[in-house]
Formats: sequence, C-alpha cells, structure tokens
Amino acid sequence: MFQIVAAGLQTTLQGAPRLGYRHLGIPYAGPADALSMALANRLVDNSTDATCLEITYGGFEAETDTACAIAITGAGGEVLLSGAPAPMHETLHVPAGARLKLKPARYGARAYLAIHSGFRARAQFGATSTYLPAQLGGHEGRALRAGDVLSVTAQAQVRQTWQTPDALRPLFDGKFALRATISAETELLDDVMREALFSNTFIVGRQATRMGISLEGHPLFPASDGMMKSAPVFPGTIQCPPSGIPIALLCDAQTTGGYPRIASIARCDRHQLGQMRPGDQVRLLHRTPEQAVIEYERKQVLLNGWLDRRA
Amino acid sequence: MSAQRLARRIADDVFEYRVETPQDAQALASQLRALDLAEDVVAGLDTVSVRCDPEYLTAVEAALATFEPDAAGFQLESETIELSIQYGGEFGPDLKAVCDQTGLSESAFIAVHTERTHTVEMIGFTPGFSYISGLPDGFAVPRLSQPRSRVPVGSVGVSSDFTGVYALAGPGGWPLIGRIQDLLFDPESASPFRLSPGHRVKFKAV
Repeated sequence: MFQIVAAGLQTTLQGAPRLGYRHLGIPYAGPADALSMALANRLVDNSTDATCLEITYGGFEAETDTACAIAITGAGGEVLLSGAPAPMHETLHVPAGARLKLKPARYGARAYLAIHSGFRARAQFGATSTYLPAQLGGHEGRALRAGDVLSVTAQAQVRQTWQTPDALRPLFDGKFALRATISAETELLDDVMREALFSNTFIVGRQATRMGISLEGHPLFPASDGMMKSAPVFPGTIQCPPSGIPIALLCDAQTTGGYPRIASIARCDRHQLGQMRPGDQVRLLHRTPEQAVIEYERKQVLLNGWLDRRA
Repeated sequence: MSAQRLARRIADDVFEYRVETPQDAQALASQLRALDLAEDVVAGLDTVSVRCDPEYLTAVEAALATFEPDAAGFQLESETIELSIQYGGEFGPDLKAVCDQTGLSESAFIAVHTERTHTVEMIGFTPGFSYISGLPDGFAVPRLSQPRSRVPVGSVGVSSDFTGVYALAGPGGWPLIGRIQDLLFDPESASPFRLSPGHRVKFKAV
C-alpha cells in the first residue's frame, strides 16, 4: 500500500494514452512528458507506459507500508527518503514504513514516480490515464489528495539498481527549443508573421495546463474571420485564436478546434511541452515533416537502446 | 461523396483530407477507421485527419494513395431527440450579444432556434460535445476572441451557423445562449453518448 500524505498542486495517475476515441471527443490524456515517464518505468522494470504518478511542481509526500522499488524522473526538486537525500533517475529500494518526500523543482513542471509493476488504476475507454475534465481513469477520475491509498498491480522484486544513462537525462533550465512543422492554416499568416513564428522567442503565459500552453510576447494574427470550420487538432498542434496568442496543445488537447492551426510541434519534441511553466522561453525550429520524421526515428533509436534493454 | 483525391500532410504524423460536407467527413472517416492503420481518424466539419505512428507512415501513405471512398455503404443515425433548454440570463450570458450580431430580438432568436429541426453533424472538442446544424443560412456568429476558462456542463453556444452543446464543464470559446439539463456524456452508462452524428434535435424552451 502506498498512501499519499501530501499531493502538491496536482498529482494524477497516468499511463498509456487513450488512443482511438478522438472521434467521440475523448482526448488522449497520458503523461504530459511521455519521455520522463518512460524513463521512470524503465528503472523499475516496467513497460514504458505502466501507470505512474505525475506530480506537478513537487510538494509531494507519501508513505509505504510494504517494501517496494520506485524511481523518480522529470522535474527534480530534492528527493528525501525517510529524511535522507535520494537520487532521481535511479532505482530506489524502499523499505516498509518509509516516507518519501519530493520538494518543488526550480525548473520544469512535472515529476514522474514509477513503482515496480505499476499502480492499480481504473481503465476506461481502454486506458488507465486520468482525464480530469471528464473524470476518466486513474483514481476515481480525480487528482489525488492526502489520505488516498494506492495499490500496485503485483508484488515482485526488482533486483538491480538501474540508473538512467547521463546522455538520456533531460535537463530543464526554463528555455525550450522545439522542432515544428507548418500546419493546415499556416498560409493564413503573412510572410512577416510566418518568419516571426520561427524566429521569435515566446514566453509561456499563465495558461500552462495539461490541455494547452499559451505562447505570449509576440502576437500573431492569421487572416481569419473567426468562422473557420472546426477541424481536428492533436497534441502538438499550435492554434492561434483572434487574441493573437498561440496555444500549443498537449496530452489533454481537445479533439477538434476552430482556430487556425498555424504550426505543429514535431513528435520528437512534444514531451518537452509537459515541462513548461509560466515565464519559460520557447523557440520553434522550423522543420519539414520529412525532416521531423527522420529526427524522430533517430531519437527513438537512441532511446530504445536504453528503454528496450533489460538484463 | 466528394473528397480530395489525396490527403496533405499537416504535421509530421498527420494527414488531412478536405471534403465538402460534414456528412462526407463522417462517411470518409468511418471508412478510413475501418482500414485500422492509424492511431486515430478524426472528422472535422469539412476535414478528416489521419494520425499515425511515424513507424507506419510509409504504409499509411501507400494505403491512402490507393484508397477509394465509397459513400453508399455508410448510414447515419436518424432518430429525433428533444432537449429542454433555458435561454439567456445566467445560463446564456452571450444571448444578447448574439442577438445584436444577428439583428434579432431575444424572443425572435428563441423562436427560430426552437422551431427548427437541427442535425448533429459531429462529436468533438471534448467528450460528447455536439456540433449541431440547423440555424438559418446567413447566421455568422464569431467565436469569442478570448475563450472562457470555464463553461458549465450543458451550456449551449452558437458559432457560425452551428449550435454546440458542452457535454462537460471546461474551457470554451463559443458565445453561450443557454443551458440544457440532460447529460450528453455519461461514462458510467452502457451507451455513454446521448447524441451521434445524424441525430435530429429539437430544442424546447423551458
């Protein structure tokens, strides 16, 4: 049993995305930073999308009454295990009765806590991931609170102590450069604004949720009458409402939208959206779709060399 | 069905078709979904997007290149569903603004909205959100320039010449004219979605 003592700003259970239901309006959900969650699962011998805790901005505390193997990745504040500092990106063999504390991080937004065999969670529409707006999946479809008790799907031992290779550990410093392609309505931007899209440094606005991140500082105005017909959007789509403030969509993205789709963040860099916090700097690096796929495949090869390797 | 012959790329992992009507979009999407090649096939009002894992991109591209849509084999729902709606006031804070834009009085707008038989064209945005056509030609209500961060469940908005019903509380950019009491999405139910594309809808003022 794993009991939440303090849940911080928002802690939810997240696992695989809920693929294949967008035509019914059901978003993917899943981890905001899928790479960090995969790395956490790897350290406790889980599949990459076993159900984990996604902890927003730290301030998290839990107790366990049974011995377990856990790992923490993502945005790192100090980790304390029964008062003693413990590393991130490493298998932690936690004895029964231990208390775990994760302090707020200076940079980055979300930490991932994986436990060997995964947390038990309610599967709905094919996935355990929590989607808060419709109370789907996770623990009663809601964010965790102090006093909630979680259980794991199976008891077993992890013998090794794994560490994420240094080269694969994402570092967060409040500055992001994301590869991106043009999208369906990019042509509504004039040449000057198209140029600006890929040369401005945007600032993450106050709206920085699992649904979308507003990119402020350089308003862009597509030539639109506000009457565009609603069209599919996905995690990675950058929409531009008439306010001129583009919104980059992520894991909880709505399934359709009526604002011009001016760009799309390349699949290889979408995980970074989950670590943005208000005030961070964001630049978009222009890629063709073909280049972006090649870079995605390269990154997968690099990651799979670690994620797929088991002793 | 009239669809563009080839899909264009709108992201590194998304292809999109342009079609003429929402019915074309639903028909094309259901046939593409049946190919079972993609992570997701999503219809818009005049678009269909196909999202795939880049690992299968070449296979999907090849399949789309030879794909021939067939309008004949697709049947939409046709049942009529009545939804009770409270117009204006706290339930529809933008009713007056919408009336100003359309040149109708509030009572004339409500008369038009309740007299007509509407059609569900698409489910999208959030679980169960319904895009419903049936407002008179020439209606051209723009979306809010700044979306609301929270719209209550059951809120009814208009945008362009569509009525939209928010099946969940959440952010929303449509000007709101009223609210319904029925639940359009209930994940605990054996049939979680009250409305489907093709359903006829009558609004009843209460």
